[in-house]
Amino acid sequence: MATLSNTDTRGCEVSKSRDLRIGLLFASPWIIGFCVFLLYPVVASLRYSFTSYSVLNPPRYIGLANYQELAGDSVFWGTMKNTLLYLIGAVPLMTVVAIGLALLLNTKVKGMAFYRAMFFMPSLVPMVAQGTLFLWIFNGDYGVLNTPFRKLGLTPPNWLGDPTWTKWTLVLIAIWGCGQAMILYLAGLQDVPASLYEASELDGAGLWQKTKNVTLPMLSPVILFNVIMGIIGAIQLFAVPYVMFPDGQPARSTYFVTSYLYDNAFNYQRMGYASAIAWVMFVVTLILTLFAIRFSDRHVHYGSN
Amino acid sequence: MTTKLGLSLLAVGAVVVAAAVYGDMAVSRQGESGKVTVVYWEKWTGAEGEAMQRAVNDFNASQNRIFVQYLSISDIDKKTLLAAAGSNPPDVAGIWQDQVAQFADAKALTDLTDLAAQNNVKASDYIPSFYDGLVYHDRLWALPSTPSVICLYVRADLVPKEYATQETFPKTIEAFDDLMFKISTKNSNGTLKMAGFLPASPGWYPWAWGPLFGGKLFVGDKLTINSPENLKAFEWTALFPKNLGAQTIASFQSGFGAFATPQDPFLDGKTACEINGVWKAGYINGAHKTFPWFVVPFPYPKDHPELANHAFINEDVLVIPRGTKHPKEAFEFVKFIQRQDVMERLCAAQGKNTALAKVSENFFKTHQNREIRYLDHMARSSNVIPAPQIGIFPQIRNEISVAAQEINTDQKSAKQALDDAQNRLEGQWQLYRTQILGDAK
Amino acid sequence: MTGNKVWKTISTHMVLVILTLIFIMPALWMLSTALKPAQETMTNPPHWIPSKIMWGNFREAIDYGRSEVGFTPFLVYLRNTVIITLLSVCGAVIANSLVAYSFARLKWPGRDFFFAVTLATMMVPFPVLMVPTFGLFKSLEWIGTFKPLWVPMFFGNAFSIFLLRQFFKSLPGELSEAAKIDGCSEFGIFTDIILPLSKPALVVVALFTFMGAWNDFLGPMIYLVDQKTFTLSLGLQNYQTQHGGTPWNLLMAATLLVILPVLIVFIFAQRVFIQGIATSGFK
Repeated sequence: MATLSNTDTRGCEVSKSRDLRIGLLFASPWIIGFCVFLLYPVVASLRYSFTSYSVLNPPRYIGLANYQELAGDSVFWGTMKNTLLYLIGAVPLMTVVAIGLALLLNTKVKGMAFYRAMFFMPSLVPMVAQGTLFLWIFNGDYGVLNTPFRKLGLTPPNWLGDPTWTKWTLVLIAIWGCGQAMILYLAGLQDVPASLYEASELDGAGLWQKTKNVTLPMLSPVILFNVIMGIIGAIQLFAVPYVMFPDGQPARSTYFVTSYLYDNAFNYQRMGYASAIAWVMFVVTLILTLFAIRFSDRHVHYGSN
Repeated sequence: MTTKLGLSLLAVGAVVVAAAVYGDMAVSRQGESGKVTVVYWEKWTGAEGEAMQRAVNDFNASQNRIFVQYLSISDIDKKTLLAAAGSNPPDVAGIWQDQVAQFADAKALTDLTDLAAQNNVKASDYIPSFYDGLVYHDRLWALPSTPSVICLYVRADLVPKEYATQETFPKTIEAFDDLMFKISTKNSNGTLKMAGFLPASPGWYPWAWGPLFGGKLFVGDKLTINSPENLKAFEWTALFPKNLGAQTIASFQSGFGAFATPQDPFLDGKTACEINGVWKAGYINGAHKTFPWFVVPFPYPKDHPELANHAFINEDVLVIPRGTKHPKEAFEFVKFIQRQDVMERLCAAQGKNTALAKVSENFFKTHQNREIRYLDHMARSSNVIPAPQIGIFPQIRNEISVAAQEINTDQKSAKQALDDAQNRLEGQWQLYRTQILGDAK
Repeated sequence: MTGNKVWKTISTHMVLVILTLIFIMPALWMLSTALKPAQETMTNPPHWIPSKIMWGNFREAIDYGRSEVGFTPFLVYLRNTVIITLLSVCGAVIANSLVAYSFARLKWPGRDFFFAVTLATMMVPFPVLMVPTFGLFKSLEWIGTFKPLWVPMFFGNAFSIFLLRQFFKSLPGELSEAAKIDGCSEFGIFTDIILPLSKPALVVVALFTFMGAWNDFLGPMIYLVDQKTFTLSLGLQNYQTQHGGTPWNLLMAATLLVILPVLIVFIFAQRVFIQGIATSGFK
């Protein structure tokens, strides 16, 4: 550095500011988008969370009242519990199913495009249609899902009416729609170098060992990514229960945080309170994500870089 | 290469922008030239929507100054509030009577008191129960479109002959319960085959159980969700899971088809009685069901004969949101709907009651619900119950509905469920008064 | 050895077929219902094969509700959805590739920090943004128009930026340097060299954006008011009447019509699609 002449330094600075200009120019859509559609709403919702705001009238500052109310709001904690239970059920199961399917769909047989499309298709079905479709597939008498149970002489669970079951019904629906995660895993599998499998085979590894020692470690960054997306998605669960279980029935067993937030914002005109709920959601998401990342530090294998 | 890519991107962009502009243009409010366009939002689709559209067409043909544009909107209540907040509300909106207080509190409605007086629309034109619920804090906020009486529907073929008429059907709750449990039948494997009556089927109005037992949801400024009368009502609903088994009922109900399909439990013969509205007849006829049926008021507790002739009402109403550009023209349309012939045609087509005190013989004769005369009579009974007028009715309805589900699934005792609801609602009510009402001042 | 291989192929197919059947059972039920006469949609016990194949259901599903609203809802919703989706896809592809290029191939102070912040934004739940964003669009008088649904797409989103950045990074740096020596501007390098090489990744971003916009429910529900502006995913609700009665066969026929185009696109594009994600990687 010391050997650089003055002109060189100046030239470097010129190109540096030019770099910054061009860099910012290219990034400008996102810088604007970030400020307008993320930073502003995030800050504003934090501000609203300290106000009483009924949509039709301007917000009024009320200090920590919303958060104090939230702390003692049994319905809110109920929705939080429902959401976390759903998350604990849906995220691991979706991960296992999606990886399993991806492994299967990564084999080389004829007609694979068709099979892949079939497993991917459910994630294309609009939420409203998913809700109404399953409302009916799970119906006690007319539901097609109960026929096999009856044929085997079993009593099918009361999918839609039993408060202990309803959340698992939603988990099943989520698993049905795991196509997007599956595609990401499938793509991740393409990245695993064949040489690793060959080496493993030379060591006499079986299918299970190959999966455990080669595939899963190589797939681990994708798993982490999907798990984080799964956590975020689970916390924001809304449309399917909104269609299938009005008011979170039965007995609020399907009342989730986002539904409660929506009701407060748009049914009860309590935008301030809704913002406080949103912030608690954010913090919970953040904690869970950090937990997932921390946990993964020991297990995620990143490639050479 | 650059030019090719750039050009194709530009072309796609241009097409898309053009399409977007066209799309937004095509949906902008087109009226007829020289006329004032009144935008009217309604919740109805299907046959009910068609009936309303005909009334709108009649209005448009009846004069040449105003053009009413009918739009059916889902989640009409939320959308109307949001549109009002976005300062672009419709000129007329069709909401429900039980929301009038909430909307009025939020300062989202035009006060119709003076407009009504100027236009000679009087309380005496209406059946009191259908008018009183539209007056809140001594001001008029809405006028009826299609009102309904809700009472007990009974399938005559599923109750013993000696009870199978309007006159001989049990009059008291106690006798009603005996009969209902007696006629409920089970399959050999213990599952229900037919239930006389289930409070949760369809269970649309759990807030009404208390009032049907003489209870009030609030008195003055005090909420009374867990008053002795309300508690009695919910202890009564708890009898059904207690006697038939909460699990048994739950799995029985899981097989019910949706309302308005032939698999509806009442149409399907799975329940013998249910609480439903005047419109039910239309669905019975529509499904080509030929079973005999009749309506009765809700039975009264033996020790409260003064509660005889109990039924409650549900009313679709027209409001003029605050901040509309043409409140006068909007009211002209609302007033048109109040004309006897117009309202009767509309209500008959939707299978509803009429809100007007004067009724033509033709309305009774041609109505799809052959019990309409009796239902009209019930609407005029002094014991008919309108939905309570309180700004936090959405929360009250929600809490009571949850309490009813908890009782029905045997998760809580009636007392526990109502106490919880009362506690929670007291907090909500306090907040509502300090926050929503405070902000609106 | 060959016998073993044949056996392996057959067993793989068998497993695939069985799993596919389980997985698409709900969708098959959808199809079966879409082809049934109305009175057969609900039977106890349910049966799979319609007594008569009703192709006319698709026509009826499209026409559903026309008589009362004075337009053909399905087609109007389809137009709206296509407009919103196309605009969203264009916006996402243009904006995200520009931004990702900046993060991947340009050096500027603060870049890596801002990229980390960008990644962190993926964790902000939509409901957090819902209330203020609604207020923002309200003050812009955008409520009831399509703008709240597509304009933000022209400003990028973290997921797509991330995906494209990974892809751009995998392209050799010599490409840009050679072009620079030839006197190419940075924008020229971007459009002439990098973009043409990035088709698979762009396809991925386009498809994910497409699916997101096509299926979005909460956004249209909050921002759209007038029935004429509804999207398909919102409009499907209209097949349920106020009291919950549903012409099941028509709803299912309409749903199939909604997903069919996307499914066909996927069948043909899946190889490029998966390749696109694979080369981007998650590293």
